[in-house]
Amino acid sequence: MSASHHDPLSHPEVQLASGRGYVANFLVTTLLMGFGLWLSVTHAVAPLTLVAVTSGIAAVAVGVQAYLLLHMNLSEAQIWHTVAMILFLPLFVVTIGLTAWMFHGLYARTMIMSPHIGAFLHR
Amino acid sequence: MGRLSLRQIPYQNPILVGTFVFALILGAAIVGLVTYHKRWGVLWREWLTTVDHKKIGVMYCLIGLVMLFRGFIDALMIRTQQAIAVGPHSPGYLGALHGYLTPFHAGQIFTAHGLIMVVFAATPLLVGLMNIIVPLQIGARDMAYPYLNALGLWLTAAGAALVMVSLFIGNFAHGGWYGFVPYFELPYSPGVGVDYWLWAFQLSVLGTTLGSINLIATIVKMRAPGMTWMRMPIFTWASLSANLIALTTFPVLMVCLALLASDRYFGTHFYTAGMGGNLMLYNDLFWVWGHPEVYFLILPAFGMMSEIVPTFSEKTLFGYATMVIASFAIGGVSWGVWLHHFFTMAAAPSVNSFYSVTTMLVGIPTGVKVFNWIFTMYRGRVRFELPMMWAVLSLFLLLVGGLTGMMNAFATNDYMWHNGVFVVAHFHLMVLLIAASIFGSVEYWFPKVFGFKLEARWGKAFFWCIVLGTGWVFIPMFLLGFAGMTRRLDYIPYTQWGPYLRVMLVGMGFYILAVAFFFMHLYVSLRDRAKNRVGADAWGTSRSLEWMTHSPVPAYNFAFVPQVHARDEWAWRKEQGVADLKSGPYRDIHMPGNTGVPFVLGALALALAFALTWRIWWLSGLALALCVAVVIVRAFAEDTDTVISAQDVERAERRYHDGEVVPMEEPMGRPTPRPAT
Repeated sequence: MSASHHDPLSHPEVQLASGRGYVANFLVTTLLMGFGLWLSVTHAVAPLTLVAVTSGIAAVAVGVQAYLLLHMNLSEAQIWHTVAMILFLPLFVVTIGLTAWMFHGLYARTMIMSPHIGAFLHR
Repeated sequence: MGRLSLRQIPYQNPILVGTFVFALILGAAIVGLVTYHKRWGVLWREWLTTVDHKKIGVMYCLIGLVMLFRGFIDALMIRTQQAIAVGPHSPGYLGALHGYLTPFHAGQIFTAHGLIMVVFAATPLLVGLMNIIVPLQIGARDMAYPYLNALGLWLTAAGAALVMVSLFIGNFAHGGWYGFVPYFELPYSPGVGVDYWLWAFQLSVLGTTLGSINLIATIVKMRAPGMTWMRMPIFTWASLSANLIALTTFPVLMVCLALLASDRYFGTHFYTAGMGGNLMLYNDLFWVWGHPEVYFLILPAFGMMSEIVPTFSEKTLFGYATMVIASFAIGGVSWGVWLHHFFTMAAAPSVNSFYSVTTMLVGIPTGVKVFNWIFTMYRGRVRFELPMMWAVLSLFLLLVGGLTGMMNAFATNDYMWHNGVFVVAHFHLMVLLIAASIFGSVEYWFPKVFGFKLEARWGKAFFWCIVLGTGWVFIPMFLLGFAGMTRRLDYIPYTQWGPYLRVMLVGMGFYILAVAFFFMHLYVSLRDRAKNRVGADAWGTSRSLEWMTHSPVPAYNFAFVPQVHARDEWAWRKEQGVADLKSGPYRDIHMPGNTGVPFVLGALALALAFALTWRIWWLSGLALALCVAVVIVRAFAEDTDTVISAQDVERAERRYHDGEVVPMEEPMGRPTPRPAT
């Protein structure tokens, strides 16, 4: 076995660990998610704006976690995280995109309430 | 105690009481045998706490077999109920108006049958076989994360156990294995059945996700020197593709079920009919997982066929590169076909057309695979031993199942037979293909894991009964599908369907015989194991790396990590005449150490899921807190590995060389000496 086996602290991913970074990540993502929750619970903005704003918040949270928690970069130890993230992106776009495409036609054809009308009635 | 009380024990149902007595006798027999042979210590030290990928794989397969049996009994009850309850004058027994199952009980049975067969029978069997074979095929000593491997096993076991518990305490969901909203919301399904379904499902999702991370990391990082990507055995490629699907889609199901749990437990309204909820979102999210899931099941099965066919055709696999590309093409297309499960939900015609086309696209790589197998057999010396018989059966089932799948791919057709038994017959042939590949690969790799071949006489009887049963059950089912019969009926309103349903019982008779023959097959094989002992290369014509090491495989897999020179390394070595060469003196082998933590975590997860189902809040809190505590304590453990000394390796290798039988559970290794700090 390699030398790093006997000294776990010399593993590159352990070297990247940072208590300050983890706490900062926790605080920032909690704040972002709390803000998103507050927006949707209080109906502070119009439904379609809400979808856009919460998606934006989620994207920022993902970015913060990728940087502070997963330490994504192109070094040999971390590149698999980065590659996995990049490979996941087209999948994400396909899944969300096809779902949105389906619902776009569905609202016109069924009695299901679009978020717009639903929120209107709820108010 | 939350909603739990003595009244929840269904002692008034004679079927369940009978099952309980059977389970009690079986459990007592097992406990008695283990005690009589004084095997509790061995059971704990060498099996329940093991992190050895082979033993974990064997335990996965055992869970799968037990659940396969349970799912089969469910199938038997559905078939007999439908054969009896035909028409208004049909008799009723045991409190049912028609047949012998009340609608509530019948609903639980088809729900349990579906969930069990997909996630607690097929999945553990496939994950178990991948666990055993993949590290051996790539020349690794174990999985990348042995501890995580054991954790995945025990979480899956906890999920299976929860389904079994629901038989005797409370009841199970009764609305179909994939659930419906708003029907599965609390106001419409207030009982514990849906909660059992929910948490059992979640446990298996967690277990399978962890397993997929492990297999991907193992294949990417743990290959023996010289094993480049294009030298990897085809089963390993199939496993990689399957687990990429699992890793990307199982989390979607986890979210989908978590939102439903949130609706049921916190009163949110993600899937409600009003109040801003969207009940069609559930279908969408479920099948974003659901369809890739079936390719997660079928790709390893294709991989197994690709290993068996060349071995018994005595030829190299035809079209290796196209086989790899086809595996990944199937994996790739799998992410864009899910809407064909709900063509009738009223999506726009353009959307339905898109999914029709993507669904038909799957036929192209699958067709490539079929022709590759056929060309592998073409002009080969084909030997119809048991594994090959199963592989050929898989091929036939793939043709019928695949072509009917093409018929289902037309959205227009789906408007005719959505939720009909034509679709049911189609997907049963596809999962029977998977089952046939599993039985074939159990026959194929059994000698590698246990050191002796399974006997052939009962095995062939078992095989032919499965063939006959499949024909007698599913050909009438296709015809009933054309007649317009819908799925999940507990009462058959049209008497003209009766004859077909009674003909299906003949098939169930063959399946019952098949189960009996299967047990005889195992019993006779075990009894006559001394006669059927084999060496490393059990079939004589096998080609890949796992056949290089001894049978049964020693704890360290390979005394020397093999250097790989060719795609079919073992065949290459035999052709070059270097099959018996050994390199250098033996060295110490560093291995992961056994630990009871995954087993404890599995037990705690079962307690947590049970408590959540019955809403026993103090127990849920306690179990969750203990889970967290155990994980933290484990994080400080220093003694997580062992070393098998060079002398031990040499002694073991000599015993194998002398043809001695080294039992699988023989302990090896000692704790690593810690470097002074």
